[in-house]
Amino acid sequence: MNCEVCQLKELEVEHYEIREVLRCILHTIIFHRALGLVRPKEIDLELFEITYVQCGDVDVEKKIDEKIEQFICWVEKHPNKKSQICLSFFEVKNKQASWFTNKIERLYWEQWYINLNVAQQPKVHSSKSYSSKVVDPGENAHEERSVRRATLEASLRDVLFQIIRFVNDKKEHVPPIPNREGVISFPYEITIPSSSDSAFGMDMIKRMLQTGHPTMLS
Amino acid sequence: MASSHSDAARMEQIITEFFAKSLHIILETRSPYMSSRNFSGEQTVSSPSSSSSSSSSVRPRDKWFNLALRECPEALENLDLWRQSNLEPMVVDVILVKRSLDWDPINFSPKPELPKNLSSKEAYLNCWNSDQEELGTEGQCEKIIERWVVQYEVRKTKGGGKGGKRSSSNLLSLLYKKSMLLLRSLYVTVRLLPAYKIFRDLNLTGQIRSYSLAHRVSSFAEPFTRREEAEMQRFSFGPVDTSCGRLCLSVMYRSSLSDVSSEGFTPMSPQFIPDYVGSPLADPLKRFPSVPMSHGSPSLPFSRRHSWSFDQYRASPPISISPSPTYSEPYAPTSNPCRFPPPSLPPHPPETSNRRKDNASFDEYCPSPTFSPSPSPSPPIYIPGSHISKVLLRSESAPVNIPTKKLQTSSLKNPNLPPSPPLKGTRGGTPRADKTMVPTQLNATVEKMLVGKDDSKRYTGVKISISRSSSRSFHEDFDESELTCPFDVDDDDIIDHGTRPESFDQKGCLREPLEPGGLMPMRKSQGAAVGALVDLLKKAPPLSQEYSHSTIPSQIHSDEAYKTGTDDPDLISKSQTVQVCTSSVTSSGILVSKTTADALEELGTYREMKNLLLSQGGRPQMLTGYASAVESMGKGTK
Repeated sequence: MNCEVCQLKELEVEHYEIREVLRCILHTIIFHRALGLVRPKEIDLELFEITYVQCGDVDVEKKIDEKIEQFICWVEKHPNKKSQICLSFFEVKNKQASWFTNKIERLYWEQWYINLNVAQQPKVHSSKSYSSKVVDPGENAHEERSVRRATLEASLRDVLFQIIRFVNDKKEHVPPIPNREGVISFPYEITIPSSSDSAFGMDMIKRMLQTGHPTMLS
Repeated sequence: MASSHSDAARMEQIITEFFAKSLHIILETRSPYMSSRNFSGEQTVSSPSSSSSSSSSVRPRDKWFNLALRECPEALENLDLWRQSNLEPMVVDVILVKRSLDWDPINFSPKPELPKNLSSKEAYLNCWNSDQEELGTEGQCEKIIERWVVQYEVRKTKGGGKGGKRSSSNLLSLLYKKSMLLLRSLYVTVRLLPAYKIFRDLNLTGQIRSYSLAHRVSSFAEPFTRREEAEMQRFSFGPVDTSCGRLCLSVMYRSSLSDVSSEGFTPMSPQFIPDYVGSPLADPLKRFPSVPMSHGSPSLPFSRRHSWSFDQYRASPPISISPSPTYSEPYAPTSNPCRFPPPSLPPHPPETSNRRKDNASFDEYCPSPTFSPSPSPSPPIYIPGSHISKVLLRSESAPVNIPTKKLQTSSLKNPNLPPSPPLKGTRGGTPRADKTMVPTQLNATVEKMLVGKDDSKRYTGVKISISRSSSRSFHEDFDESELTCPFDVDDDDIIDHGTRPESFDQKGCLREPLEPGGLMPMRKSQGAAVGALVDLLKKAPPLSQEYSHSTIPSQIHSDEAYKTGTDDPDLISKSQTVQVCTSSVTSSGILVSKTTADALEELGTYREMKNLLLSQGGRPQMLTGYASAVESMGKGTK
């Protein structure tokens, strides 16, 4: 089984938009992979005119929010860097435990990379774009902001449709649905691969060692 | 072989249920009124694990494809028709039905009758649902905004389907899994397409609109014309292969519904109101110029904006108002005329529109306790794709019907909104409900007043609401027919009230915070003051013994009776509003203690003034006299 990787279109977001954007994308992906009995939950974004769908599982929601907070902390510590957050689905294969190792092998069969370019703010809670650099934002800054917001909304829609197309185009690699209770059919993890090349490369090597496959991580 | 027969039967069942599920998913978000009956809010039951065993029982149909949906009776009734054959495609047309006399005939054309070549079966299958049919065909136009096609294409050369039992069941599992993925994608997609916004607007606001969504399910559909196809985009979901064919699902949709869903709004270029005169109550000593006031009255730090939003509407089509995200209660329009105390508002001409940044202060000072101050100022802002804007743009001319108004108290300002949800107004969720919140709040405000609490704050809130409508109606070139009863709810009024909320937001909100029990500042809008006076009169003890809802009809009846006593109901309403204006000049305490006799006295005086106003045709000069008369009346009351 190969690991399908989807690199989502990069989004330029401001700091305060990270939460909503990531929630929207992560929940949309997970909804497509939550093949247990689902009562979908529709959520309207506050910053954009977009309604996304959650699978309705409270644990999933909690986990996603935790990871988003971690990501935000990471972004604050690493400003001016393109950042990624990775959602991976895997199968758990119990390796034959020997007396000195009891490793559980994870076979990743799908990975989604959400690429964000966070505009740095002078302050975390600042509502002004760093590019404005005006004490008193005038009409132009407001118009720019609205244009930027509209652009981001369109891009976010594009990303959501990108997810839908990917899910529809690639179905063969999805493992058989395990016979388990609950919404989530496949275990998943959300990680924050560092944006630096060396760390990212290490991460790739790490995954390759884990999965044992010549994983093609682009 | 029995196993192959059973596998074939199972496959057939999966395909049949796939059709049913896809129709359910589509109609669930495209059939507003049917869905709303079972609509339990924006969010469904959240925990699926609990749903399977808990109070939210899982219906057998929910288990198909592991996707539990809300009830949609229309989908179910259409569904039964499709159980006959999976070989026929299922075409679901989502149609935007508009009723207006102002539609551009080029863009809209009356829907032709059903194709005559439909067989009886097809005609039977062609289930038409329209919420507007009963309204007649006058000005009713329909436009297909989405076309969903679900079909099972049978492969001509059947191959590979005769494997062993295991492979067949594996194929079935694979088919089922892929169908689940496809339906999940469909579920997400229907909420991303433009028609979903219209659905949300219709479903949650509950306000009578001039457009509606209808749908048609058939096995046949007239192909689009080239022009129509050019206006539409296509999205095809990845097909699901079976042993005998493949399941295909695709949609053609209009990517932009801004022109389609606009409520008959006729865009007009920005223009000044040439004869705008401010309210005499706001500044009795002010002489109202006969020239247009372009950029704010020099005498008023906060320019009146009674007609500003109205002008904005007239000026630019895409003006929209983002409802305050804090509003959450949907407002159900009422057709009960004159629900509120003396509804007639003085025909104060609103000031010329001013797109000033200081409009921001309005929203922040919105006096009604039920209003939450908008964090940002309030020039109308353009929200691309906003359906609220379209709704509001349509209604602009009729007298105010506060109950049906959708007041937008969040910022009308352009995009310098803080990260708070500014642009959410048009959406069907909470923000969509926000659109209707303001009228509800106004109602609540008025009702509170009627309950008899001598709460000047509430009173003020009511005053503000009334003043908005008054300035509005006055702005409409003294159209007397619209001044009869601002709270009258007619069909036209309902349609035309869209802009009123803007005026409310823009001008109705007093430019200064209303202190409880405090005087209405002289700088307050004329309309607000007028409204306040009206309410004060209403609250006068002799006029209404108990401030309750039950008194409203009596008051209304008294008003109407009073109206019938004269030839011109408009005059009566104007006089009433004039009385209110006068009263508002004085302290609220004094106004509260007014007796019926005083009120009637003033009423008579204002009748005379009204006659004068009408006779002079609403000229600014007349209003000057009116202002001084009001002032004198106010002094007299003191």
